[in-house]
Amino acid sequence: MTARTEPRTEIHDLEHDAFLEEVHSFEFWFQAVEGYLSGTVHGHRPDTRDVPPVGSDRERLISTLCNYCIGETAALEGASGLIAIAPNRLTKVFLSTQVADEGRHLEVLLQRLADLGVAEPESEVEKRSSPSLQLFRRRLLELVASRDWEAAIFAQNVILESLEYAVFHTHASNADPITREVLEGVIKDERRHIGFGENELGRKLAHSPHIRARLGQVRSQLDHLVLDMLETTAREIGVDRHEQERLGRTYRESVERLGFGS
Amino acid sequence: MSDPLQGHDDASAEPGAGERRRFILDDTGFNEVPVKYRKFYRKWRGAGDALAPNEVVCPVCKVVIRSTRELRPGDRVYCMPCMSRLVVVRGESGMLEARVAY
Repeated sequence: MTARTEPRTEIHDLEHDAFLEEVHSFEFWFQAVEGYLSGTVHGHRPDTRDVPPVGSDRERLISTLCNYCIGETAALEGASGLIAIAPNRLTKVFLSTQVADEGRHLEVLLQRLADLGVAEPESEVEKRSSPSLQLFRRRLLELVASRDWEAAIFAQNVILESLEYAVFHTHASNADPITREVLEGVIKDERRHIGFGENELGRKLAHSPHIRARLGQVRSQLDHLVLDMLETTAREIGVDRHEQERLGRTYRESVERLGFGS
Repeated sequence: MSDPLQGHDDASAEPGAGERRRFILDDTGFNEVPVKYRKFYRKWRGAGDALAPNEVVCPVCKVVIRSTRELRPGDRVYCMPCMSRLVVVRGESGMLEARVAY
């Protein structure tokens, strides 16, 4: 039985087109998420003991989760809008899997807020959300509405996803057990999202270098919002200055790999 | 861990660089890709972890990519968890590294 599931060739021998056809598919996505979400309830194992924070730690966690909900809502709205302007079938299919991921993230984060005793999670999210993050969300949706594929993918799948990936990693390392499991599941989804954004833009930049200046503008418009969000979140999840600097470096890595230095 | 199988030829080996070692990949518990591809990846275990000659770290998502062959500069590998195509290079430290090939 095992032999039938073995790939006929080493995965690294595939032609690039065949590799993209394989990974930008619902078949791949179903089997990938099944590996780490099967058996979970609201993003965590049902037998994980809840040890929620209390007092000011609880308040800080609620504020942090509220901001995560805004980020996930922005990505959900952005990814769903981008399907209409995606340049080909594979990018449309990938984005539709991303929409499912982002919807799930929003759902499990709202559930975590409810578990923490927040009576009306959605209105709490609106009350506590950071103005910088709300502004980022508006700017992203403006880029989507203007049908600017490269700029919107840059804002969403490179800048926003890199920020979330870095922050969730750090937060998961010092969170309570259930929040940690929820975030670890989200991080596994985020790997696909940041990889898609970086590779899609990397290919576009290689063939159309003139878009670099436009993306540089987008970065300069959004960077201060991102750094403000990073600083606020780092304070709320209680990381020291050294860890905050490491967070900033992690966030900048993919942007810099695409050739957008500080 | 990877188990080298000595004595296997590999036609793609660099001229003059000797035969490449071959490796049998076992399941490392990595659960972020479909079952049939899991053996090609593992988690980076942080400080104290060491890469085998058939492994490189993905610079995009930090997952360890594994091959059935000893890796050499110029080889292409794919990171399925983040869907990146990578090329193996010799880093400044002398260790093998992977660079994204868009």
